[in-house]
Amino acid sequence: MVNYGGDEVSALVVDIGSSSVRAGYAGDDTPKAIIPTSYGYIPKLPDTDVDMSDSTQENAPQAENSRFAKIFVGQNGPSVWRSGMEIGNPIVEGLIHDFAPIKPLIDHALSKVMLINPSEHPILVTEPTWNTPANRERMAEIMFEEFNVPAFYIANTGVLNAFAAGKGSALVIDIGQSMASVTPVVDGFVLRKGLSYSPLPKLVHAHARHLLTSPTQIRRGIDLLPHQLIASKAVVDANALPQFTIREDRIAGTTQKWRNWAETREVDEWLQTIAGVLDQGWNDQQAASKPSRQYEFPTGYNTFFGAERFLVGEQYFTHNPQLVASNPNLPKTLPALITEALRACDPELRQVLMGNVVLTGGGSLFSGLADRLSAELTRTFPHTKIHAPGNPIERRYGGWLGGSILASLGTFHQLWISREEWQEHGKAIVGQRCK
Amino acid sequence: MAISAADVRSALSIPEGNATAGPSQPKKHLPQNARKPDGISRELYSLIGPSAPSLAAQLAKPRLKQKPNFGGGTAKTRWELRPFKNGARQDNLELWHWEKVTSDPPTEYAFAKYNTQSTTYIYSQDEYTRFLDDKEWTKEETDYLFSVVQDYDSRWYIIYDRYDFPGGPTRSLEDLKDRYYSVCRKLVRNRPWAGDEASKAQLISSFQFDKEREMTRKKYIISLENRTPDQIAEEEALYIEVKRLEHNERKFKKERESLLRTLAGIDSGLPDIVEDDGTQMGISNEKTTTKGATTKKKGGQPTDVDSPATPSVASTPALKRPSTTKNAVYDATHCIIRTEPPTSGVATKAAHQPAYLRSFKLPTPKAAIAPKITQALAELGISHSRLVMPTRENTAQLEALLDATTALIETKRVMDKVEYDIQVLKNRLGMREASQAATDVEMKQENTGDAEGSNFGETGGENEDGEDGRAQSVMSARSARNRKHPRRSVSVSSVDTASTRAGVKRQKKN
Ligand SMILES: Nc1ncnc2c1ncn2[C@@H]1O[C@H](COP(=O)(O)OP(=O)(O)OP(=O)(O)O)[C@@H](O)[C@H]1O
Ligand SMILES: [Mg+2]
Repeated sequence: MVNYGGDEVSALVVDIGSSSVRAGYAGDDTPKAIIPTSYGYIPKLPDTDVDMSDSTQENAPQAENSRFAKIFVGQNGPSVWRSGMEIGNPIVEGLIHDFAPIKPLIDHALSKVMLINPSEHPILVTEPTWNTPANRERMAEIMFEEFNVPAFYIANTGVLNAFAAGKGSALVIDIGQSMASVTPVVDGFVLRKGLSYSPLPKLVHAHARHLLTSPTQIRRGIDLLPHQLIASKAVVDANALPQFTIREDRIAGTTQKWRNWAETREVDEWLQTIAGVLDQGWNDQQAASKPSRQYEFPTGYNTFFGAERFLVGEQYFTHNPQLVASNPNLPKTLPALITEALRACDPELRQVLMGNVVLTGGGSLFSGLADRLSAELTRTFPHTKIHAPGNPIERRYGGWLGGSILASLGTFHQLWISREEWQEHGKAIVGQRCK
Repeated sequence: MAISAADVRSALSIPEGNATAGPSQPKKHLPQNARKPDGISRELYSLIGPSAPSLAAQLAKPRLKQKPNFGGGTAKTRWELRPFKNGARQDNLELWHWEKVTSDPPTEYAFAKYNTQSTTYIYSQDEYTRFLDDKEWTKEETDYLFSVVQDYDSRWYIIYDRYDFPGGPTRSLEDLKDRYYSVCRKLVRNRPWAGDEASKAQLISSFQFDKEREMTRKKYIISLENRTPDQIAEEEALYIEVKRLEHNERKFKKERESLLRTLAGIDSGLPDIVEDDGTQMGISNEKTTTKGATTKKKGGQPTDVDSPATPSVASTPALKRPSTTKNAVYDATHCIIRTEPPTSGVATKAAHQPAYLRSFKLPTPKAAIAPKITQALAELGISHSRLVMPTRENTAQLEALLDATTALIETKRVMDKVEYDIQVLKNRLGMREASQAATDVEMKQENTGDAEGSNFGETGGENEDGEDGRAQSVMSARSARNRKHPRRSVSVSSVDTASTRAGVKRQKKN
């Protein structure tokens, strides 16, 4: 037991990202509960006092949550169509922007999916490097005051990703749903001056959406209607007009927010299935020489995507000069982020960091991205070594995994902020303990 | 229309006698006294009947061995969910974990002992005004610096990253280190010291920090990083050129050596040029230097006196070495370590040695026997491809280790060959003795002499890396034999012995 330094105290690890909330036992290799961070809700009308005792779904009893008449979280939350249901997401640019749905989300993951009582377990929560002190203190407050946890700790995703890769020092490149970040980690601490991040994945997503919905020479703009709104469809040839019937009964009750969320999911699906990036930089011939791939949308419309599917991934690495000219505030590309992070680091550290690059986050699973990144980096730093787990779970949930490792170490247990300390010192203890 | 067997029989006029054969007849049971033996299934037994006793004997239930009891007779280990307190914590947090149930009294939490605190210096106001005043720093900022250093356990990169003194000037990492270490030095120097002077001096030297040097070093690293691809390509080209020249030199030397041997029977005494596989410029240079030194010492030996004094470029570096005492002192105080330019000595720009980070040019074994070396080291649990801390000493150690392993493997190979030779010769001898017992006395003597020679080693000092005495003596026997019959291959083995010795010596010095 002492040999590998592990001592499990049945701690829990909760990792909240823009796309999903991950929760599980420290010491496990996969989170037990993965639920979408987006939630559905029926807004409360300003003057009606809606009955709060809804038996089927999560309710928000707190006064601050009272703007939801009903809230739907979990696997059957946003993805199930409900009349008048709006969609919200508490995360903006990787940070918790709205704490109202946080409690229902965490509660659902712990009590409904994992079937445990949070007040019996120490909880480690993750945070991005650019988290604000106010935010982490609020998180501590929620944990101690609302979940009654015996102990709490908040750890940095950059550091945790490095730990998950078995490294104390690393350059962590995390590409999530909304943010791409490059974090230098040295001896288990983040170098805050070297942090650089941008909402690059959002741009890639927007680009893909634009590409799909705008008409081209060979096709009209694609309708991204989700399957929840389609009653039936017929099999049609590639590029032929789709034949489907809409669920007219649902159209009236569909909110704009839900529709937008559902279409976003369609774009994501397309991105994950057939989009990619060339591994040696953009090259017209090479892009043309790649086989084109067929993709069918929920409407039944299907077509072949050729070079354009690689154009999308290119956004991670280079920006179209026209786009830059028209929009000076484009999010920084991955090479720009890396250069910026390295420039802020001590020259002596640069070689060390480039020898320990950790690639993580769901966005890094994008087809061809790891190879391209490696090609780009070795061009400037011949000694680059990239650690990119082949296991998609490990890659996407690296932050959670690092937390799982950390919270199961015997030497870590002295770092927990206990309930006693919280009551004695208040919020200040969070900043003192979690450096 | 059911037809019974009896109908068929009567139709075919088969006698009614053996009625039991028909399946439609109720089967008569076998005599009860023939009980089914163990180890044979009922179905099989009813088929073959009791008429196969040998089979039944074979199928009798095998008696199984007693199950071994690995637990040594103790009861099952029981685990229990128990609360525990962590001695490294200030508060009373109780966490629960599974523990083995024992009757021993509860012990201190096993991981509490890893909570180590590094000692930090605290100074009084009086001490500050008397010794520590500095026009660049206020007391408040110095206090802040010390608190940050303590917070982050002297992890300087982090300290520099988090250092943020409100209203203070921007400080570089070197500024911070310089201030911290100079304060520590002054405190140690000016406080009463309980121990002896040596330990005090040692403590002070552990706080030594040369800001200028650090900054110059960083500047070098940056300029190394800022090389353009052209510059790198040029360096690469020059490097290849050096290799080519070295190769020519080596060839030339080999040829001359063999000429000298065949014509005059002596060694030329020229410095050896080290072979390497071309990836480690810096290392090869270090090697050459030490080789040069060894050969210089050897130069005093009488064997070399009558070697023809060929004007040779390769022997000059030993003379060129700048070793004035003043320089040496300067180098020592500034920790400068000079490496010799390549011994090829041809005055082209190819002799230039580019700057490099030591960790990139770790010594690697000769490509030809690399797998064997890796295997040999792996047996000892050593991985030679990575150095956690590639200081100069450590690289030298690693190189010495590789040299020693190379020598060991080379020796083993030679030994195997010699043993094989001995075997062959013995066999031949046996055959001859059998055929012409009395005739070939002279021949017999020589052969046995050669074979027995292998049992007497002349040296035993190089017991490196578990090199066994036997292999060694074979080695020396071989060199003894080589002296008698100079052959071309000799030079190779002597190179290797020399390099092992050099390696051992260097290692001992460190
Ligand atoms: N196989 C795949 N190919 C391409 N993209 C993928 C793949 N799998 C997941 N993704 C993308 O990864 C993103 C989610 O990644 P991740 O779970 O790391 O985000 P997050 O941590 O929740 O968000 P953030 O870090 O921005 O807060 C989604 O946008 C999804 O489209
Ligand atoms: Mg993330």
